[in-house]
Order: sequence, then structure tokens, then C-alpha cells
Amino acid sequence: MAYSSIVYLLPFLGAVLLLYNGMPKKYRWCVLLLASYVFYWLNSPSTLVFLLLATAAVYFAGIFLNKIQDGFELSKKALDKEGKKKLRGVVGWQKKAVCACTFLFVFGLLAFLKYYPFFSENINHFLGLFTEKHMLPQLKLIQPLGISYYTLQAAGYIIDVYRGKYRADKHIGKVALFLSFFPQIVEGPIARFDQTAGQLMEGNRTTYKNLTWGAQLILWGLFKKMVVADRANPFVAEVFGNYTENSGAVLLMGGILFTVQIYMEFSGCMDIVIGSAQLFGVDLPKNFARPFFADSVNDFWRRWHITLGAWLRDYVFYSVSLSKGFGKLSKKAKEKLSPFLGALIPSAAALFCVWFCNGIWHGAGWKYLAYGMYYYLIMLLGMLLEPLFAKTAACVHLNRDSGGFHVVRVLRTCVLVVGGMTLFRAESVGAFGEIMLRIFTDFAPGSIVDGTLLHLGIDGWDFIAIAGGCIVVLIVSMIQEKGYSLRETVAGQNIVLRWAVYFALIFAVVIFGAYGPGYDQVAFIYGQF
Amino acid sequence: MEELLTILENLKPGVDFAAQTDLIEDHILDSMSVVMLVGELNDEFDIEITPVDVVPENFKTVDAIYAMIQRLSDD
Repeated sequence: MAYSSIVYLLPFLGAVLLLYNGMPKKYRWCVLLLASYVFYWLNSPSTLVFLLLATAAVYFAGIFLNKIQDGFELSKKALDKEGKKKLRGVVGWQKKAVCACTFLFVFGLLAFLKYYPFFSENINHFLGLFTEKHMLPQLKLIQPLGISYYTLQAAGYIIDVYRGKYRADKHIGKVALFLSFFPQIVEGPIARFDQTAGQLMEGNRTTYKNLTWGAQLILWGLFKKMVVADRANPFVAEVFGNYTENSGAVLLMGGILFTVQIYMEFSGCMDIVIGSAQLFGVDLPKNFARPFFADSVNDFWRRWHITLGAWLRDYVFYSVSLSKGFGKLSKKAKEKLSPFLGALIPSAAALFCVWFCNGIWHGAGWKYLAYGMYYYLIMLLGMLLEPLFAKTAACVHLNRDSGGFHVVRVLRTCVLVVGGMTLFRAESVGAFGEIMLRIFTDFAPGSIVDGTLLHLGIDGWDFIAIAGGCIVVLIVSMIQEKGYSLRETVAGQNIVLRWAVYFALIFAVVIFGAYGPGYDQVAFIYGQF
Repeated sequence: MEELLTILENLKPGVDFAAQTDLIEDHILDSMSVVMLVGELNDEFDIEITPVDVVPENFKTVDAIYAMIQRLSDD
């Protein structure tokens, strides 16, 4: 049941909304929890057990952490300063042990179910060089729906409790609903417990504003997904599927259109997800902030898949870079090498961990690891060369804050992002190499205008619909980037104008959306992670 | 406060830190510069800033950073 399917949007969402509002306020969270488990069961019945296991593990681990902390607070009253310090050390180790066991379990499930086939294949390949015995068995494992998302939410919850950001919740229903809330279970956004759990339990009635604003956002998401992303999909599949037969220019077009497709699809899905949650008065964290206006790769990742970036920043980047080990190393490097390198070492090491995790989070395969390393190298080079860039700019009297230079930076970022997306979509790292080779050695620009593009899965009308959809999204994004809220503006208009906008969107989806004969329903790309 | 301003100015030359109202939202301090700043603050003020302390509220303004330093020095 995809979020863009009629089954989800009408019977499922409609029934949940009716049941939710028909129930007394204090039981409404039960409707959401039941709906979430029904949604999960309908989509992936055999893997529901893993979600339940992860929920139970973090719930009991959280309660245990509370107990350890409470015991410490009680015992420390009777101790002197030295005794408190000693006890704090013991308690610290106990809490670390609870976290380690919980991570071993939840990340162990993720590692085994998602990465075992990749590891066993590669280890067997390596062992095969020496012997044919002791091979790891090849297992056909089902990857549980949304495991990459709910595992991060679960781990974030435990880390926050460990760090003392908040106490673990005693209400198992609250923890269960936080981890399983149906709009976000498949593709995120990856929320924090203190962001959404309270709202989910409030059980506020659906207001007119929530209903209309939620529906607007769902409609906007459908527009992006069905008019642009799903129309671009056959072209992208054809170009990347037969990359050895296409010219460099066509492959470049494929890379650009895939970038457009994945943005429209993922951000469109987030609009549907956030809109669905809004119907129940729940504000989910945003996952996109007009990423193609970014003027650096770092800025791009602050605007693209925001909640994953924030998770990795808070729980991986700061944990590594601010660790005592790197603190000491940095101090030594400052004294013996240079202050610049001393300051750089913890960031560079932590950044490596972040991009390693980001890469493998996206999938079990070398190309995903290469994808992470691609961004790591760009960011590392940016950090290393920044003093040189600043000196060069000063020498040639280049104003790095000028509008013209900003445009150049935005375009440079877009080129780097298309490169990364091409690697992401390519069959393998080898295929990406071949695609790049063709772009640089067999570009054949004529293939863009000689009609070749019209024989690659989509026709001229599809291109017009994609271009039209992109222009609409670009205009809306430009307005938002200027700081205006288009939704507030539309909501402030009279009923005729307001509904004219809504109907225009509905008709655009119905008329220009990719569905019916000739179009397969396209699964959300990020739902497969 | 003087030492803090000197550290910040060495980290990001040309920024009028005292006049800034949101160093995080305005992207003056990103995660890289926060890590570099934390290293400097730990050395200069003999404190231990941990990941728990690295939240936007503690790095939003010079005053917020100074308040965090004082709080950690007292602990």
C-alpha cells in the first residue's frame, strides 16, 4: 500500500480519520497505534515481529536506564565528593552496558537482515581465493519494512535517555506508537522522541485547518510524485539499464533526470507523509528545505534528508569528534604539527564515520559505500583547501559574498550532486565509471536533439509534463526561499481563488499524472532502504 | 568574555560575533566549526563540553556560549 495509492489515500486514511475522531480523546492514540500495526501488517506481515522486538528492547532498556539513574540519585545523597565521583563512574559503566546490549540487539537485527547477504557474498568471494571449504551460507532474507528508519529512531531514543536529555517513558504504548506511526514508518522522517511522541498521544480532534492544510500538502506531494517523478522513471530506467548503448550526452540527461526524479519522489513522499500526520494534528519534522538552492555540498546536506543528516550529526559526528580520544589527539597535533591540523583531525575523522554510515545506511553494496565516500572526499577537500581558496580569492580581489559568485557556487553544487546521484543510480561502481568515461569521451551532443531522447521510454508529451512540473515546483521553491509562506497566502484568499488553486492541483494530478495503461505504479525509492 | 570573543574571531575572522542573534540558524557556526570551537573552549577554560551540551541553545549567541562555559566551570 504505497502512500500515493488510492487504497492508502481514501479507504485507509479516511477510515482511520473517522475512527480517530469518533473515539474519546484519551483513546485516540490507540486508534493511531492500531492503524499503524494494521498498515504494517498489510504491507509486510512477516516482518512485523521485528518491529515489535525492537520496540520491546528499547522500552525495557529505557526503563532500566531510569532505574540505574534513580538508584544513583538516591545513593549519592549519603556520599562525600569522592564517593559520588566513584559511584558516578560505576553508574556510567552500567548505563553504557545497557546501551551497548540494546544497540547490539537492534543494530544486530538491522545488520543481519539488511547486510548479511552482502557480507556473506563478499567474504565467500574472498575465501574462494584460497579454499572452497567453510563458506558462509547464502540466506534469502526479507528486509523488514522501514527497519532502517525505526532502528535509528529507537537508537536515538536510547541515546537521549542515556545522555539525560529526557527520562525513558513508562508508557509502552507511547514508545510503540513513536516507533511505528504509520505515515512515517516506510520513509521517515526520522523523528526524535521529544519531537513527536507527546503530540501522538495528545489525541487532538482533527480541525478544519489541519484537514485542509494536510490535504493541501498531500496533493502537492502527489503532484511532485505523479506528474514529474513517475513520468521520468521509464526514461531513467532505460538510460541506466542500457548505459553501454547510450552516448555521454544521453547518460548525462539520465543523471540529471534521475536527480529530478529522486528529489520529486522523496520530497513528494515527505509532503504526503507530513500532510497525513497533520490530519491528526501531528507536526512531523521537515526533511527537505529546497536543496537545489544550496551553495555548497555541506549546505545541500543541511537541506536534503534533513532528519538523517541531523541524526548522524548528533549521534555520530559529535560523539566521535568530541570523544576524549580525539580531544587528546587534537591537542597533540596542535602542539606537534599545526593548530589548523589539530583542529581539523577530529572533524575529519568524525566526518569519515558519518559518511561511512550514511553510505551503508542507504544500502548493502559497494556503490553505496562509494556514494558515502564521494561526499566525504568533497567535504574533506573543501575543509583542507578552504585556507587556499580564501587566500586566492583575496589575491584576485574576488568578493565571495557577491550574487554572481553565489550563483556559480549553486551551479557547482548542482553539478556535484548530479555526479553523486549518478553513482547512486548506477548498477555498480564499475557502471558509474563507464558512464563517466562516456560522458567525458563520447559525449555526442547531437543525440540530445536528433530525437534519440524520444525513444527512451517516454515521449515528447512526457518531457513537456516533466518540464512544466519542474517549473511549477521551481517557482514555488523560489517564493519559499524568499521567506514567503505560499500556504498562508493561499489560505488568506477568498474561497473562489482558494479552491481554484486546489482544483488546479487536482486536475494537474489527474490529467498529467503518470498512471493507467503504460505506467506501472512506481515504488518509492527511499522505501527500499 | 574577552577570551571567548578572541577564540571566535580567530575561528571565523571578519564576523561581528557580539552583534549576531543566531549563530546557528544564520550558518555562521556549522557542525565543523562547533567541533573546532569546542576544542578551543575545552583547552582555554579547562572544561569538558560533551555531546549533550552541543545543542543550538548553547551556541546561538556569544552570551549563550559564555553562560554554558560558566555553568560547566561551576560543575
